[in-house]
Amino acid sequence: MELFVNLVINGLATGMLIFLLAAGLTLIFGLMDVLNFAHGGLFVWGAYAGIFTYVFTESFLIGIVGAVVTGALLGLITEKLIITPVYGNHIQQILITLGLMLVLQELIKVVFGPNGVAVKTPSYLTGSWEIGDVIIIKYRLFIIVVGFIIFGIFQYMLKKTKIGLIVRAGVQDKEMAQALGIHIKRVFLYVFMVGAALAALSGMLMAPYSGVIYAEMGMEYAILGFIVVVIGGMGSFSGSLLAAILVGLAGSFMAYYVPVLSLAVNMILMAVVLIFRPQGLFAMRKERST
Amino acid sequence: MKNKLSLKYVGFLLMLAILVLLPFVNDSRTLMILLTQIFIFGILAMSYDILLGYTGIVSFGHAMFFGIGAYTSAVMLKQMEPTLSTFLLSIVVGVLLAGFISFLVGLLSLRLKSHFFAMLTLAFSGLFLVVAEKWRSVTYGNDGFTFRAPEIFRDRMTFYFFVLACLVVIFLVLYRFVNSPTGRILIAVRENEQRTKSLGYNTLHYKVIASIVAGTVASLAGSLYAVSLRFVNTSVMTMDITLDALLMTIIGGVGTLVGPLLGSAVIEYAQHALSGLARDYPIFERWIIFFGILYILAVIFFPKGIIGSLRLMFWKWRLKHKEKDQTSVAPSQEKERFE
Amino acid sequence: MSTLLKLNDVHTHIGQYHILQGVNFEAKEGQVSVLLGRNGAGKTTTLKTIMGLTPASKGEVEFRSHSIKKSPTYKVAKLGIGYVPENQGIFADLTVEENMKVAMRKEDTATLERQTYVLELFPDLKKFWKKAGGHLSGGQKQMLSMARAFINDSKLMLIDEPSKGLAPIVVEKVMEAIVEMKKQTSIILVEQNFIMASRIGDTYTLIDDGRTVHSGKMQDLIHHEELKRKYLGIG
Repeated sequence: MELFVNLVINGLATGMLIFLLAAGLTLIFGLMDVLNFAHGGLFVWGAYAGIFTYVFTESFLIGIVGAVVTGALLGLITEKLIITPVYGNHIQQILITLGLMLVLQELIKVVFGPNGVAVKTPSYLTGSWEIGDVIIIKYRLFIIVVGFIIFGIFQYMLKKTKIGLIVRAGVQDKEMAQALGIHIKRVFLYVFMVGAALAALSGMLMAPYSGVIYAEMGMEYAILGFIVVVIGGMGSFSGSLLAAILVGLAGSFMAYYVPVLSLAVNMILMAVVLIFRPQGLFAMRKERST
Repeated sequence: MKNKLSLKYVGFLLMLAILVLLPFVNDSRTLMILLTQIFIFGILAMSYDILLGYTGIVSFGHAMFFGIGAYTSAVMLKQMEPTLSTFLLSIVVGVLLAGFISFLVGLLSLRLKSHFFAMLTLAFSGLFLVVAEKWRSVTYGNDGFTFRAPEIFRDRMTFYFFVLACLVVIFLVLYRFVNSPTGRILIAVRENEQRTKSLGYNTLHYKVIASIVAGTVASLAGSLYAVSLRFVNTSVMTMDITLDALLMTIIGGVGTLVGPLLGSAVIEYAQHALSGLARDYPIFERWIIFFGILYILAVIFFPKGIIGSLRLMFWKWRLKHKEKDQTSVAPSQEKERFE
Repeated sequence: MSTLLKLNDVHTHIGQYHILQGVNFEAKEGQVSVLLGRNGAGKTTTLKTIMGLTPASKGEVEFRSHSIKKSPTYKVAKLGIGYVPENQGIFADLTVEENMKVAMRKEDTATLERQTYVLELFPDLKKFWKKAGGHLSGGQKQMLSMARAFINDSKLMLIDEPSKGLAPIVVEKVMEAIVEMKKQTSIILVEQNFIMASRIGDTYTLIDDGRTVHSGKMQDLIHHEELKRKYLGIG
């Protein structure tokens, strides 16, 4: 029993981190029809900028703020310089964002050095609680809680606020949204920045979880993010959450029971979904929903 | 038109003559190795361009075919007698394997739209990487293994000529392929898949053909690569290989066969030169940044790469100076390379 | 009666196609101006060019004596031009209420009063207030689209083929609504159905092959058999 609970908590924590990464991807894809292959670069920049702020200020919270701000700023620059020239052209988008990914990854090595950096969990989040035989590691619970809070906030924003309405309208019909007086390009920019900030946040939260950060982690986790977006249905926000949890749990259980398959299980999941249900598992309707 | 064709022909023969004679003028080991490397990646990049430049699809899984070739040759040379015939047999086996797998993968994935196709190829090549890492009894995982190359290739110069011969043959075969009716239809798919479909062509069928051609040629490049190093490990299956092919194709010029070759030369040479510089200036260790930036700028401003941009300039120049000549109108495909 | 909107020798390219090749057109305040012409003549593109969705490559577009030729679509909309596209442009996943809300640029009393007014005009919308836009009937979508364009105190509404694909009884309702709305705003109407158009239109402009070929008072066109035969294929 305790093993089961621990595996579930592990899976949930990993799933939540992937969700935060995938949430930005899916928002950007849903609204702008842009698949951002540089998302992992924003993730790793969030991790590095956040951790360096954390070490410098000795405050984990300020570190998180540092990560989010860095992510949003990089998002601003990326959207303006890299994405704007290639709207509507999928192949160019794939190519150019991939190039940006390379640059961001290598720039990490230039700015912060080529070697990995060890990361400590803040003292108030280290350790664990024991409830009977079940050991709950504090930091994992923290990630899970943060993930659900972010999900809640976004779900509220999308469903209940005017901003959410505008974004959802823009996802469905860009031209009409503009004809109703909505400055859709600015909405794009903000969404891109929010997506980038989410990627950076997830990188920052990932850092103490994995204990070490390195430049290549961006690409590794971005692939998980893509897998989740595909499984969840591109552009579907809640689909991404479910898919991320699925991927997290599958990874955690496989790692314990069938370690040989643990590396491949996500790829297989995605391949199966793409082949049999390319619109994603949780995209219920034909129209893209948020 | 005839004039231009013969110009091309002369250029081709001249280049070939230089490359054949070069080892007799300067047979420095470094140069031989560098040129061999350029040829091998040139073959890989040309195969990638069949997908990207001619058919207009972005694959993130090209390394998988390169890796299949590399591992097939390495494993067979290690397990069997390291003779030339074993090597040639391993090339055939690798090509057949790659052809079969690219057929399956293509059939499963080419129905999907560009984003999804890119992801699915990424997933498949990820799976192959995992297999290469985990099947340690054969692949020795990440550590890889060394093996003996066929006796005849001990001499760098012989291997150089072998690879050059492969390059020329592949170039000519691919040239015929892209200029064949099938190749024309691939270009039509790139320009407008819907319209091609409505003209009655089964575009999936043609995309799968492109995928098989690209996969088998990449496998050959992989075989040559393994033998050139006499060593193989999982790095031949990684994303880096795909990225190399992508960079070379984009920088050299998509939708041409010479472009990827040029791209391969530029990148391999720069890599070689910059890693030399890196000993003195550590910033050059991060040479990939320069290429990344160059590549981004190329996608925005010169989506046709070096060759395409030169060609466009040539056409413009022709138009200016030969306005009387009514026939010299730039081919329509120069307009929009992507989509 | 002052001129609200003026197009002067407008040319529009879409991709490599030269769609509008000289459109001259004026819409006066408080009137229903009808654009007539065959399929593919360029009526819809004219509306899109006014909205900035397919910007003019040559010529001049003036709204209340200000050039809007280079204005992005959202700015054109904010100046007070409401757009009801041919396919109605309803956000399918949003409810009727949300569709209205997303269109509202202000939520002041004047806007809310106008909302009450259009809901009286289209009681169906009130009935299906919480229903997803995608589940409405064609006529209801048309009504929602018109209500949405009207809600922001639009000075001018561009309505593209409101009768298309609707049952005659629904067309009747839509036309009544247009006559009603005309009391508060000016309207440019693209309409294939000449009988409808002639009933509610004040002026007409004939477009053929991307050019305006004739314009004048609707009363005159009704009796001009030759024009009708030549450009509309009726009469």
